[in-house]
Amino acid sequence: MIRLLALLCCLAPLSAAAFSAVFINPGKADEVYWLTAARAMEAAAKSLDVRLEVRFAERDHLRTLEIAREIAARPAGQRPDYAIVSNDYATGPELLRLLDAAGIGIFLAYSGISSNAERQVTGKPRERYRKWIGSLEPRAEDAGYLTAQALIQKGRQNKGQGLDGKLHLLALSGDRSTPSSLRRSEGMRRAASEARDVTLDQEVYADWNRDKAAEKSDWLFERYPAARLVWAGNDLMAFGAMQSWEKRAGQPGRDAWFSAINTSGEAMEAVRSGRLAALAGGHFIAGAWALVLIYDYAHGYDFADEGIELERPMFTLFSADDAGRFVARFGDLRFDGVDFRRFSKALNPKLKHYDFSFQQLLR
Amino acid sequence: MHDSTFRPLAVSLIRKTFVLAAVCALLISALQAGVVYRQAQERFDLALRDIAQTSVPLLSVSIWDIEPETVRRQVQMLAERQRIGYVRLAVGTGQVFEAGNLALRGAKTAGNFPIPYPQRAEGSIGTLEITAEPGALYREVMLSIAGVLAGYGTLTLLICGLIVVLLRRDLQQPLRYIADFVTALQPERLTAPLRVERPAQHRRDEIDLVVEGFKTLQEGISDHIVNLDRLVAERTAQLESALESIQQLSIVDPLTGCFNRRLFNERLPREIERAARYGRPLSVIFSDIDYFKRINDRFGHLSGDEVLRKVALIYLEDLRVGVDWVARYGGEEFVIVLPETQLASAQATAERLRCDIEAATVICEQCERRAIRLTASFGVVQHQPGETPQALLERADTLLYQAKAAGRNCVLPKVCEVIPARSEA
Repeated sequence: MIRLLALLCCLAPLSAAAFSAVFINPGKADEVYWLTAARAMEAAAKSLDVRLEVRFAERDHLRTLEIAREIAARPAGQRPDYAIVSNDYATGPELLRLLDAAGIGIFLAYSGISSNAERQVTGKPRERYRKWIGSLEPRAEDAGYLTAQALIQKGRQNKGQGLDGKLHLLALSGDRSTPSSLRRSEGMRRAASEARDVTLDQEVYADWNRDKAAEKSDWLFERYPAARLVWAGNDLMAFGAMQSWEKRAGQPGRDAWFSAINTSGEAMEAVRSGRLAALAGGHFIAGAWALVLIYDYAHGYDFADEGIELERPMFTLFSADDAGRFVARFGDLRFDGVDFRRFSKALNPKLKHYDFSFQQLLR
Repeated sequence: MHDSTFRPLAVSLIRKTFVLAAVCALLISALQAGVVYRQAQERFDLALRDIAQTSVPLLSVSIWDIEPETVRRQVQMLAERQRIGYVRLAVGTGQVFEAGNLALRGAKTAGNFPIPYPQRAEGSIGTLEITAEPGALYREVMLSIAGVLAGYGTLTLLICGLIVVLLRRDLQQPLRYIADFVTALQPERLTAPLRVERPAQHRRDEIDLVVEGFKTLQEGISDHIVNLDRLVAERTAQLESALESIQQLSIVDPLTGCFNRRLFNERLPREIERAARYGRPLSVIFSDIDYFKRINDRFGHLSGDEVLRKVALIYLEDLRVGVDWVARYGGEEFVIVLPETQLASAQATAERLRCDIEAATVICEQCERRAIRLTASFGVVQHQPGETPQALLERADTLLYQAKAAGRNCVLPKVCEVIPARSEA
């Protein structure tokens, strides 16, 4: 009875806008991944009738804090109900402090609180910072594990072993500090250690950057002549490594195999053409899922029964067919075709568990 | 004083000090150069060791992790170290990093360091070559010498300046003052005291010795001058008395103490002139001792002299002091000049004199103390206007002659007798 009453109360203002939200996007406005994330969120906001404002911090963590301060300084009536932020470059604790003080509901998406030092400051959601309602992270390890496994499989199929009979793997990781970067690498290492016939020759950090990856690959190919498998933490680094391999008169996909993470058009094209042996992605959707969770929370369907700090599988390994479908469906970064209402517990009371995988959007 | 050969004491002292200081500075600089050269060499060796111990492991990790930017920075930092001219890092995978002075490429290297793998003991991941900057050692040595010279020079200048000030104050100024004082000394100010301004509470020094010595000299000279003055006064007094006696001798008859003929000849015209000028009377008495020749013959010349002295004495005692005067005219003749005296008074005076002589006796010591009786004859005249001294004397002489002729021991003209004035001489 009480639940029904609450539902009625919450449904009442739906006719206008359910609530307002701000997404402080840590990336650049012309960065494919973060742009895709923003577009997916906008589509979700539209279908859930949420007023969404997206602000890009242009990969400048000081700018991130500036935007947060600006939002917190707005007159009470103009402040958004919720802010969706990412704990990139360890900005999380400060963002929580700023926005909580302004009485804005906070949801951490993409990157949550992970290090002990940060945890010391923030505590758990809804405790020290009462307006921090929760977080949702894609299970980053999956991306590394899935791509590495597929890559090794490809190497085996094509007999890419060296003279010692083992598959030699090189890894280009993003950076040494971002949790998602570390977890992707962890997944890669788990896959490599599970396969007895694989030697991880060396893992280097190319800062998510194509040119750096190309330069480091020059060294690596020279240092490890037997290496035929190259795992990369994102698509750009994989392309850099391919570029280096092609410079040595190699043919990616034929005499060496590369894996990548991300759903850029170029990556999809490379999967379809066979230059990329493996590609995982789809976690950009985490922001859209965050809106669904907030929507349900705002309408009395607290996601706490599934956990308030959620780390869920989202990554999908793209086959050539998947890549074709993705390009066909979302190639122009339009997610209007997706009805996000059907993932809401508030709107679908029969729904018992959230499914955050991207795969379902390709079906 | 300011001639070209003059050079103040302070200047020459400072010149010598400065030359000495310059020589010392050169010696110290040479020493310093040697020390700095050795130190610089040791530092460079140390730097090379430091590179081997710190940079090589860092490079090893950076190369292994394939961080070209870090490797480039490290190589650049190595090249920027002191005295390192050129650094070349060749990585086993073919990449070459170089930094510093590229002109030194191919020059003799100061150190070759194989870069080991971070984990493995054997084998190398690259080679680091260090080439020394050739001019750096020289520059370092020169810079250090310049520093030493600048410091030493400043110190020397300061000390010299201080010495100049002190020399000026303590030596040059007092000495210059003494010199000026001595130069300006005048005979009449010879004993003016020399007072040199010295700072309060200073101790006695050579300047004081000079001042004291000068004082002693002044005292000696002063004594000497006083002594000389006394001598001169003494001699002058002697001369004056000698001159006086000479003058006395020239106008006084030594035997009788009366004026002599020479003075008489000089003085009588002046007396006549004065009497004429003021219209005053003037009389002259001509006297002669009676029978003087006989006295000489009977009693000897000594008694004759005694007689003359006695007569003169009577005259000098009887006459008005300071007005009348007597001269020995020759032999036993005396002339008595009586200014401001009319003939009658003169006659009376002559009479008085005649009586005194008549009453006097002279004892002859040689001839059994016999008494010698004396008389004298007198001719008295009053000067007449226009009369010459010769004429006056002639007139008196004539009267004397007449008195002799009249029997001696008398005065002519007689007191009552009126002598008619002669119309001409």
